[in-house]
Amino acid sequence: MIRFEDVSFTYPGASGPALSGVDLEVPEGELCLVVGRTGAGKSTLLRAVNGLVPHFSGGVLGGRVLVDGRDTRTNPPRELADVVGLVGQDPQAGFVTDSVEEELAYSMESLGLPNPVMRKRVEETLDLLGLADLRHRPLATLSGGQQQRVAVGAALTAHPKVLVLDEPTSALDPGAAEDVLAALHRLVHDLGMTVLIAEHRLERVAQYADRVVWLSSDGTVVAGDPGSVLASAPVAPPVVRLGQLAGWEPVPVSIRDARRRAGELRSSLGSPASVAPPVGAEVMRAADVRVRYGSVEAVRGVSLAVGAGERVALMGRNGSGKSSLLWALQGSGKRSGGEVLVEGVDPASLKPGPRRRAVGLVPQQPGDLLYLHTVGEECRQADRESGREAGTCRALLDRLAPGVPDDRHPRDLSEGQRLALVLAVALTPSPKVVLLDEPTRGLDYPAKTRLAEALAELGHAVVLATHDVEFVAEYATRVVVLADGEVVADGSTGEVVTASPTFSPQVAKVLAPLPWLTVGDVARALAAR
Amino acid sequence: MSGAVHPGAWWLWALGLAVVASRATNPVVLGLVVAVAGFVAVTCRQDTPWADSYDMFFKFGLAVLGIRVLFHVLLGGVDGPTVLLDLPEVPLPDWARGIRLGGPLTAEGLVFALCQGLQLATLLCCVGAANALANAKRLLRSLPAALYEVSVAVVVAMTVAPQLVASARSVRRARALRGDVVRGVRAVKLLLVPVLEGAFERSLVLAAAMDSRGYGRHAGLPTRTRVLTGFLVLGGLVGLCVGAYALLDGGSAGVPVLVVGAVPAAAGLWTGSRRVRRSRYRPDTWGTREALVVGSGLIAAVTAVLGPDLVMPTVPLTAPDLPLLPALGLLCALAPVLIADRKKP
Amino acid sequence: MSVPIRARAAVALGGSAVIGVAAFCWPLFVPAGGVSVEAPWLFALLLPLVLAVALAEISSGGMDAKAVAMLGVLSALGAAIRPLGAGTAGIETVFFLLVLGGRVFGPGFGFVLGNTMLFASALLTGGIGPWLPYQMLASSWVGLGAGLLPAMRGRVELVVLAGYSAVASVVYGLLLNLSFWPFALSAGSTSVSYVPGAPLGDNLVRLVGFSLATSLGWDVGRAVTTVVLVLVTGPVLLRTLRRAARKAAFTGSGLG
Repeated sequence: MIRFEDVSFTYPGASGPALSGVDLEVPEGELCLVVGRTGAGKSTLLRAVNGLVPHFSGGVLGGRVLVDGRDTRTNPPRELADVVGLVGQDPQAGFVTDSVEEELAYSMESLGLPNPVMRKRVEETLDLLGLADLRHRPLATLSGGQQQRVAVGAALTAHPKVLVLDEPTSALDPGAAEDVLAALHRLVHDLGMTVLIAEHRLERVAQYADRVVWLSSDGTVVAGDPGSVLASAPVAPPVVRLGQLAGWEPVPVSIRDARRRAGELRSSLGSPASVAPPVGAEVMRAADVRVRYGSVEAVRGVSLAVGAGERVALMGRNGSGKSSLLWALQGSGKRSGGEVLVEGVDPASLKPGPRRRAVGLVPQQPGDLLYLHTVGEECRQADRESGREAGTCRALLDRLAPGVPDDRHPRDLSEGQRLALVLAVALTPSPKVVLLDEPTRGLDYPAKTRLAEALAELGHAVVLATHDVEFVAEYATRVVVLADGEVVADGSTGEVVTASPTFSPQVAKVLAPLPWLTVGDVARALAAR
Repeated sequence: MSGAVHPGAWWLWALGLAVVASRATNPVVLGLVVAVAGFVAVTCRQDTPWADSYDMFFKFGLAVLGIRVLFHVLLGGVDGPTVLLDLPEVPLPDWARGIRLGGPLTAEGLVFALCQGLQLATLLCCVGAANALANAKRLLRSLPAALYEVSVAVVVAMTVAPQLVASARSVRRARALRGDVVRGVRAVKLLLVPVLEGAFERSLVLAAAMDSRGYGRHAGLPTRTRVLTGFLVLGGLVGLCVGAYALLDGGSAGVPVLVVGAVPAAAGLWTGSRRVRRSRYRPDTWGTREALVVGSGLIAAVTAVLGPDLVMPTVPLTAPDLPLLPALGLLCALAPVLIADRKKP
Repeated sequence: MSVPIRARAAVALGGSAVIGVAAFCWPLFVPAGGVSVEAPWLFALLLPLVLAVALAEISSGGMDAKAVAMLGVLSALGAAIRPLGAGTAGIETVFFLLVLGGRVFGPGFGFVLGNTMLFASALLTGGIGPWLPYQMLASSWVGLGAGLLPAMRGRVELVVLAGYSAVASVVYGLLLNLSFWPFALSAGSTSVSYVPGAPLGDNLVRLVGFSLATSLGWDVGRAVTTVVLVLVTGPVLLRTLRRAARKAAFTGSGLG
């Protein structure tokens, strides 16, 4: 269905190729997963399928890409709209209209389909993706998962033979991600659609893949059976790493396969020694915090005490009040009731300058914090506004992400580099507590590991809101679960995440009932034996 | 959605009322127009962001009425024998000849100004009723296909505008995180740049999405149609130019030439529309209800045109009467209340 | 990215300009006999058609997805910040975007931007009315004119743009007053109403009198805010807009 024949591609002005010598064939009715480090060219590969590369991006394409027998060289994206449906990273940014039904119909209108056909397909798609109740809703009022499903639906109504998705679950909470993936699974199995997905959160998608394409940083690809390709790639979900560690052949990709093999490992490992992590003196105390927007109460009486060096993960569905709580704790956001004290001082009573020396916050869109034209200017500005000696911010940045050029525009950085820059800016005044809102979005496994290590090394008290259970398992010492603005669970990471399947990391699922959380823990235990 | 009357029908209905108002300075007739427009607007408006437009325009109309009267008091104009007040006249330099500041204020002049102001306010009320009743988004969907690109740009604008407001808010909050209190002129720069950068990135993402979804698959026009379109459009424009000149020259030919010029221009728009090969999902259709709504407005307009003079006599001052035929016509314009869907409670 | 103006579209633009000028300025030239009562209304009805024809001719020359998306985003920006100034004595927050947008992306883009920005703003606020076509036409001239300014860079460009904005703001205000004048005050009804057949100079004096009495504060406010905004945000915005234009010409992002 999709065929790449010796494809290479170089962006205009780029020093090296983004893709080189790619030979790839994806047969009809397969779900194919594209993996690779951040910046390896996954989006480029996906966009080459419908001709956005090179028609929209410019640049030089060598070789050829055939989709359903059509050459993308001679067919620009709009002419391929009836064969390839593309769903971008940020569904909201790709919406042309503002209501669900109109958005679903847009592609069909462009294709000039007759009205009765459009009516029929819109109804089918609404049912297929479980959107029927939302049909008249404005898109802006939908949750992230609903928006993602609308974006998938909008691509589906044109009845394309190929569906291409760029990180469809990275912004979603585990439950919403399941919904989207279940819908995709049904498309492949019931309708025989060919699906190509790029994703960083492999623990969510790898089990559904029929084939994995590993795109290495020099632009070449390795394609094949999921287990074997992932085992040799630098990015792999924990279950694959565990399989490699235990020497299982073939390497399992799903929890089910891994559990079948895990009996021996479970009995040989035994329970992990439970060590209560040391908690330092209390640096932040929040009591009965409430945040109300109009008639909606986003946070209802949350109390939280954080000790020095403690790393607290806030988890919970989209809209459970995590972000509101972080902003209220920092003092810049709204707080309708309750009290927050950082070393005895309420940060909300401070001026913004001293406030950031007490509590630092990295918001969900880290780019909002940046407004200058180069990385160097941002670093110098951060030193100035924190009253630190010159070079403090730059040194922090080099520690978090070495080798970011000084003269680069912040908008041109990769997700990981931009996050590192913003984190460095936030850490420059060395605040007592650091709050992070969804820090792992768009980061691959090695980048996440580096982030976790750097944060642990710096030793700040950290509160982070996230959906990323694997990151939590690896990094957090304590987990607080919010639902509807209230704390429903609070305890050490091991206790909380193993108690609920939605928040369980893969290793815990494989080795349940034993409360092992990460491959690293298991490896250390095996090595100590 | 399907239950609502076509927005174009509401505008034509409001245009009918506006025709009545434009011919009348009789306060009774004007009051009746305001009442009819207001009653229909309040009864038939749907639950849209524009539903409150009538109130807004009504208040605006009152303000305009006040300003018009103030103008008369200060700058004079039509006079009569009954002097109410003699304001001192301010002498103006020679170049400003013809402008009078101050001077006697007469009852006749005041009534005249009041009626003119009321006429203007009534016209505003008609526009307000149309704004409240017609769903602007659906009106946008009814633009001719030749304006497809422009209408997509407007649709995009309406989708993106609220997102930009949200993004400005989050940037502002983020600025506070860097220890800045953003105020004054500096705020424009500090807020605008991140919001704009974000907006432009968004525009590229959006453009890619539109491209992938078939935006701009043009059929291309056969040469004959293209030539015909050019001929019609340019011919029509020339006709309109000639008509405008004739109108300003004082000749009686102006109006007919303008109308004659408009026809090929509109036809050119129609033939040019065939360049866009696309269809409409659930297009707004014209049915009996639309015809009835437009018809009721048309009756009001026709009765006002055919009926007696609706001008308020000022010299000598007499009480305004209520001419029967236009009044009946205006009552017909209440028909949408019975025809159109009412707002759900 | 740019919106090309082909020969036919240029002719259509010229024709629409002639009719537009007539629609705005007829009270100044109208002969002593006066025109029929319908004339002003006829112009108000014809103007949307003329605008539609001009826009259709421009867009038939090709507007790619990038241009449309950029138009949409800039219009959204205008529509979103316009209410900030509304009501506060003439603070007009749209013009500087129009001037800078037209300057960077060219006359065709500027013309369309003037239309879409005002139209989107009117749709969002429920402000559609007979005045809208007049506003759209006048503001599209502002955008078009900014695109036609000669090539220059740096400080000179900024000063010229600021000067252009000041003139454009005042002329825009006068044109809109002119369009509203005969509706607000019928012929000869006050001493600042137009008088059919009177010498051009006399009617101009009356127009200025009308403007002084009504909107001059707003017009001056609009000119001042626009000049200040152009001077303050110009260097940064021109850089940002040109960066966007460069990126759109050959997208460098999308690696990932």
